[in-house]
Amino acid sequence: MTETKQGFKTKREKELLGYLVGSTIRYKIWIGILLFFIILGLIGYYRQLKFGLVVTAMRDYTSWGIYISNFVFFVAVSLVGSLFSSILKLNKNEWAYPLARISEIIAVSAIICAAVIIIVDMGRPDRFFYVLKYMRIQSPIIWDVIIISTYLVISLILLHISLIPDLALCRDRLKNIPKWRHKLYKMLALNWSNHPKQRQLLAKITKIMAISVLPVAFAIHTITSWLFATTWRPGWDSTNLGPYFVSGAFMVGAAVIIFAMFFIRRSLYLKDYITDIHFDKMSKLLVLLSLVYLYFNINEYLGPSFKMVGVEGEHIIELFVGEYAPMYWFVQIGGLILPIILLTIPKMRKPLPVTIISVLVILGAWFKRFLIVIPSLQHPYLPIQDVDESYRHYIPTWEEWTITISSFAWFLFIITILIRWLPVIPVDKKSEFEISA
Amino acid sequence: MNSFKPAIIRNLRITMTLALSLAIAPCTLAQDDMQDAQIELSFNEEEKTITAKVADTAGVPAEAVELYFYVKRTFSNLPIGDVFNETDEDGEVSVQFPADLPGDKDGNVEIMVKLMDSDQFNDQTLTLSRRWGVPTEWDPGDEKRSLWAAAANAPIPLVIITSSLIVIIWYVICYILYSLYRMSKIKPNHS
Repeated sequence: MTETKQGFKTKREKELLGYLVGSTIRYKIWIGILLFFIILGLIGYYRQLKFGLVVTAMRDYTSWGIYISNFVFFVAVSLVGSLFSSILKLNKNEWAYPLARISEIIAVSAIICAAVIIIVDMGRPDRFFYVLKYMRIQSPIIWDVIIISTYLVISLILLHISLIPDLALCRDRLKNIPKWRHKLYKMLALNWSNHPKQRQLLAKITKIMAISVLPVAFAIHTITSWLFATTWRPGWDSTNLGPYFVSGAFMVGAAVIIFAMFFIRRSLYLKDYITDIHFDKMSKLLVLLSLVYLYFNINEYLGPSFKMVGVEGEHIIELFVGEYAPMYWFVQIGGLILPIILLTIPKMRKPLPVTIISVLVILGAWFKRFLIVIPSLQHPYLPIQDVDESYRHYIPTWEEWTITISSFAWFLFIITILIRWLPVIPVDKKSEFEISA
Repeated sequence: MNSFKPAIIRNLRITMTLALSLAIAPCTLAQDDMQDAQIELSFNEEEKTITAKVADTAGVPAEAVELYFYVKRTFSNLPIGDVFNETDEDGEVSVQFPADLPGDKDGNVEIMVKLMDSDQFNDQTLTLSRRWGVPTEWDPGDEKRSLWAAAANAPIPLVIITSSLIVIIWYVICYILYSLYRMSKIKPNHS
């Protein structure tokens, strides 16, 4: 084993840095599977580039399809970085410190995927820079472009600053690694020598970032909600949309963290660091966040379903008892109410049960974004006369599905690579606490 | 329909016979039977009504032929008249032009009459301009600062608020990057 040739000084270093050296057959198979789906998505995208958006099922009514619902999903997932790096850190929740880096890695990957999906949704991606060249500050789309790029930079900085002491350890301890990786660790470690002045400065930077990421994180998903709220469509014409989106984002973010915790602790043998206590705490946090989201859901649907006015009423009928009813009730019951009930039972807060429940929450969250985007578009306030019947329905084509599945493969690929190259749990426990506090 | 047909008012009569011919050899019996209709349009200037008279190539009025009337708009064609506009036994059908449709600065609008998907006749489209619209002046130079204006005419408060927010957050990012640079320059403490 190559680990023995390394310069680890403690058991903790060996356990938390050891897996960064070498690779297993399981890892290679996993990467192979991800690359297969990525290539499949590239074939779909090639066809979309060649023939245009006509290869998708998007037409004049449903002009935003699963690309946009997937975009909203990834933006939502990216908020998890701020949950750990800001809210839990500023509230001195020490139990959450080992999970902060996982959350930051997920945030970085999610926001990269969200940004790319928007370009995929463009019929002419070569004209993306026209958005900047001819930008109108009045357009919420421009606000979204600005905030997404800002949040991407902030997420990268958040991840980097939390890694600096450990990158220095990688630089000093890992011997049997390729030269380029050693150079990369050296460059990213920024001459870290654990000097008191460096620790003081890093603590200050961490605190500033923890405070500043919060408004940006709230802004990113609130502005994404405004893309809908500023468009006059049934289901979107609501003042509730900002907090509704943000609360839903924190909920799905927590579920994604639980899902990631389960697989990271199994595949990297980190059961001593990601313990049952972490799963228990995360489960309770998920219940709290789900209850908040449930509250906003009630607000979102009660008013329109009580009044049942015109097209808004048609939209509600479509969701409650119409074409989208099975999906709607799966999302509300399977992805929201059932997890809340189940997670109040202590046995369900063990790693495996809570991971399965998190999968339900994640699936519910993805389909929820589908329900937010598509049915609303099929009930315009100003319908087209004698519209083609196909415009009234939306069934994504195989190109859309492969591109969407490939976006998830990319998401997991980025996470896998980052976890493979970076210490996922802070090695210097004491230092992490001090800096975070 | 025939009641106002006599030339009590200034009637404009236009006969357009389309000289479309089938370029390809007939494939089916149905295609062989298709012919070009003779469509005559007349306009009642006072009442703003459009009357179309359809006849076959022999000049016999065609009954129950469905015509579609449109006014050309910026992005698409606005249907006018009833949902279905069929010719009567005299081969005629009339529709009322809406009184409040905007036209160009002189009130000109383009009226389109279409014959489509007929079992008897080939498709045809007639387009004619009338000064029946409400004259509309549009001077882009007069555009005020608003949410729907061009980029250069964005509302000042919006520009100030968004710019301030961008400057504040990017100032923090730049400060962090500068601090990281400063941190990297701290020499190791060998003592």
